[in-house]
Amino acid sequence: MPTFVYMTSCDGCGYCVDICPSDIMHIDTTYRRAYNVEPNMCWECYSCVKACPQQAIDCRGYADFAPLGHSVRVLREEEKATVSWRIKFRDGREKNFVSPIRTTPWGSIKGPSEYAPPTAAAMSSQELAHEPEGLKVDVLPTLARSRLKKGLV
Amino acid sequence: MSRKTVFVDADILVVGGGMGGCGATYESRYWGRDLKIVCVEKANIERSGAVAQGLYAINCYMGMHWNENQPEDHVRYARNDLMGLVREDLGYDIARHVDATVHKFEEWGLPIMRDPKTGRYQREGKWQIMIHGESYKPIVAEAARKAASEVYNRIMVTHLLMDSRHPNRVAGAVGFNVRNGDFHVFRAKAVIVAAGGASHIFKPRAAGEGMGRTWYAPWSSASAYALPILAGAKMTQMENRIVLTRFKDGYGPVGAYFLHLKTYTQNAYGQDYEAFWRDSIEKLVGDYVNHHPVPTCLRNHALLEEVKAGRGPIRMVTKEAFKDPHKETVGWENFLGMTVGQAVVWASQNIDPKETNPELTTSEPYVMGSHATCSGAWASGPEDYAPAEYQWGYNRMMTVEGLFGAGDTIGGTAHKFSSGSFTEGRIAAKAAVKYVMERSKDRPEISEAEYTQLKKVIYQPLENYRIGRNEIVGGTVSPSYLLPLHGLQRLEKIMDEYVGGIGSHYTTNEPLLTRGLELLAMLKEDLALLGASDLHQLQRAWELQHRVLASECVTQHTLFRQETRWPGYYYRADHPHLDDKDWHCFTLSRYDSQTGRWDMEKAPVYHIID
Amino acid sequence: MFVHNPFAALPASIPPIAKQIYVAVMFLLVVCGTLFDLAHKGSASYFFRHRRVVSFGARRRVSTGEATALAVETLVVSVLGAGEFCGMWRRITHLLTMYGFVLYVLTTAIMVFAYPTTAAPGPAVVAELWYLGALLVCIGGYWFWFLQRVDVAAEGQSRFRLVRADLFVVSLLASATFALIWAGFQGAGSDVWANVFFGLYLLASTALFASVPWSKFAHMFYKPAAAFQRRIEHANGFRGNLPAPADRPATFGSARRQPQNY
Repeated sequence: MPTFVYMTSCDGCGYCVDICPSDIMHIDTTYRRAYNVEPNMCWECYSCVKACPQQAIDCRGYADFAPLGHSVRVLREEEKATVSWRIKFRDGREKNFVSPIRTTPWGSIKGPSEYAPPTAAAMSSQELAHEPEGLKVDVLPTLARSRLKKGLV
Repeated sequence: MSRKTVFVDADILVVGGGMGGCGATYESRYWGRDLKIVCVEKANIERSGAVAQGLYAINCYMGMHWNENQPEDHVRYARNDLMGLVREDLGYDIARHVDATVHKFEEWGLPIMRDPKTGRYQREGKWQIMIHGESYKPIVAEAARKAASEVYNRIMVTHLLMDSRHPNRVAGAVGFNVRNGDFHVFRAKAVIVAAGGASHIFKPRAAGEGMGRTWYAPWSSASAYALPILAGAKMTQMENRIVLTRFKDGYGPVGAYFLHLKTYTQNAYGQDYEAFWRDSIEKLVGDYVNHHPVPTCLRNHALLEEVKAGRGPIRMVTKEAFKDPHKETVGWENFLGMTVGQAVVWASQNIDPKETNPELTTSEPYVMGSHATCSGAWASGPEDYAPAEYQWGYNRMMTVEGLFGAGDTIGGTAHKFSSGSFTEGRIAAKAAVKYVMERSKDRPEISEAEYTQLKKVIYQPLENYRIGRNEIVGGTVSPSYLLPLHGLQRLEKIMDEYVGGIGSHYTTNEPLLTRGLELLAMLKEDLALLGASDLHQLQRAWELQHRVLASECVTQHTLFRQETRWPGYYYRADHPHLDDKDWHCFTLSRYDSQTGRWDMEKAPVYHIID
Repeated sequence: MFVHNPFAALPASIPPIAKQIYVAVMFLLVVCGTLFDLAHKGSASYFFRHRRVVSFGARRRVSTGEATALAVETLVVSVLGAGEFCGMWRRITHLLTMYGFVLYVLTTAIMVFAYPTTAAPGPAVVAELWYLGALLVCIGGYWFWFLQRVDVAAEGQSRFRLVRADLFVVSLLASATFALIWAGFQGAGSDVWANVFFGLYLLASTALFASVPWSKFAHMFYKPAAAFQRRIEHANGFRGNLPAPADRPATFGSARRQPQNY
């Protein structure tokens, strides 16, 4: 289901161009609005659909196998940390879903530099950051070298 | 045409901003507070990589503190699924750290579902926990941005740079800005490659618009393999391509259905077919058929045989499960948080699993390193227990000094998935920080001659198009240059017909593989004549270059392993049985970019004994 | 220099009626160009077909009073306030250019029809507003042209690349720029240069109004219609098949930054 852009809703802001992992959202030279230049490299990841502030981008299932008349639209509301989906079948029946997308405020992640610097002992150990507490066990597991045997067992 | 050259100096350069790259960036900062950590990504790290649309499950989490699984259990599971051949030292290493990674994700804000009865993470099956992961990637990217000195988006790295004073040591990378065309030269003391594996090297089932609906992201263009291969790093298990049984056309995930919804498969006549094939599978692989759970490739094999016998299409029985509203919600949200395309397919064809049992199919093959497959670079293992043969210095360092890897880049580490790839990034990062600190007096140096020559090579497709375009009136057909899409479709056809794609029922043999190599050689020569009309096409051209090199590697490995180890992934018709006598080993290759020669060898497998 | 009425100060060889006919023709070109564009592309047909689809998918009826209120809202927010732009700076340049254009065109018409001769050049404020209008067009327009165009800012195209989408803004900027230069030379008494730039101004202005079937000019009429339609759809439950907003408090902040582009 490659994406397409609604002519009257797109205001040429460039969010979709910026976010597309496939680099296929580009700007039309007649209207200076966005469009999908390479639908056969579109994964239908919906990154552009979710990013568009005007909800100007929608998806139509791949022509190879998706009959027309369906709709799967999304409203990703960062401020509420929710994503809402509205699925409309070709025969008209509808399904709606809402899910959380985050439990903490955007931008609130504690950067690694904000933790106390690692000790030399930690550096020379096998532990990664926030271990062993982060594992919620007392000690990072390890193996005795003798436990690894070469060949068929 | 003169292009601006931008020099960037880094202590650690992370190539690729996906799960592995974000993990590497985060951990590099933790251990290297004063180091310059640079992450470079060809797209935008906010949504780049295989987790762009999100995930509905984390498939690598032990739950050690709840006594659910221990690292050894993970190793046995991965070993079993890959018919005995995994790097057990690397797998154990990921498994012992991954719980801390997942707990951190939850702390950062990833919503992880909880079992209402036990309060623990909601399990799908033994290994999977369920998440509301639509924003999994933005959350992880936020952590990476808080760690990196600089994040460069829209820069495609095309080549690694080698140290001009020491052989076999990496010194940085080059690439181009996909937006403004600037040439970027990165100088680094250590490089962590965490790029994408290989989709679009075999012809996909849908050939038109539907080409985009690959199981693994279409932007995974095998840079994870091509970059190390060109640097002379040894690769392993590149023959171990993966084929997936998924919902028809959309390739939507089936894990939650099988494990949480407890659905099962049937042939077109409503019969359970897997048991029917058990004995014939045993003739192929022996005792491996008795392993529990049944290895992924063998389940594929049963489905393929059933379809070949004319009793397809195979369906998943969902009608009973979907009567439960909770399960129905899980079934749909499973797609919406991970593979929206499948919801679209069902909406378009009026498929409601309450009323219809949807079709399943096997996909075209992919080559990657983090799922039920483990192709990638051969890497050094953890210092505390890896056998001497698996260790030559720093953890996750490849056979090229200063070159580290994580995620799909590293071979032998099946079943690590998203959390394991992020964890592997962390492992590689700590090792890279140690390497940088211990080698601080001996920094690598790039060669101006090398990057000047590469600059010419990188932009050549733009020149080819600009000049060659004068010959024809218009259109896509030119006798003197090839468009990237042309090259891609030719590659996919070669691999499909000669190296075991869907068109040949995943089957190949030595004469086919040899012919495939001949055709690939001609394609490689034609790559010098790629024509790119703009920077977007230039990106496609370099993605193709990486794909072709990786495909050549895959073909060499497939030729080298003279057995059928993973029926259901691919078949060597001339060596149809599993052969533990001669082939209970890893395949290794090393490419010489000067001569174009591939040197193949075997490496032993070490198993954790009880 | 910024007080005189430049249209009145044109050579007497150009009779007022010629200037008035020119302005009237430009106006007609816009009307006919827009109607031609609608008919040729069938965009009006599409619009009404879409309304029929919406009426089938609507969940509730929108009353006349409600629709009127939405129309007013469209006028105030989307038209007068350039509410169709999601980015603050792009909204600002659009407002500058839009109000500048309106001032520029209206004062041109006033000067040409009411005060076309030096005998009665009219109140100074009319000319001043003309200059202001042209200046606002230039400020908003050049700012947009060099810094904000999405093909430059997001796609990395050269600032100096010209494509069909640029037809409207380039001819508008050319008209306003040449107008200011022409009026400046005229006010300073340099007749030769004044004539040169008057000629360029005429060319640019004619291009601006005559190119309506090929440029984005007519979109200034389509966008408000689309904005009104969208408000109707949100009111009648069709919502363009979009899900309704989630019933949850907005307490998580936003990660939304201006696109980082490259």
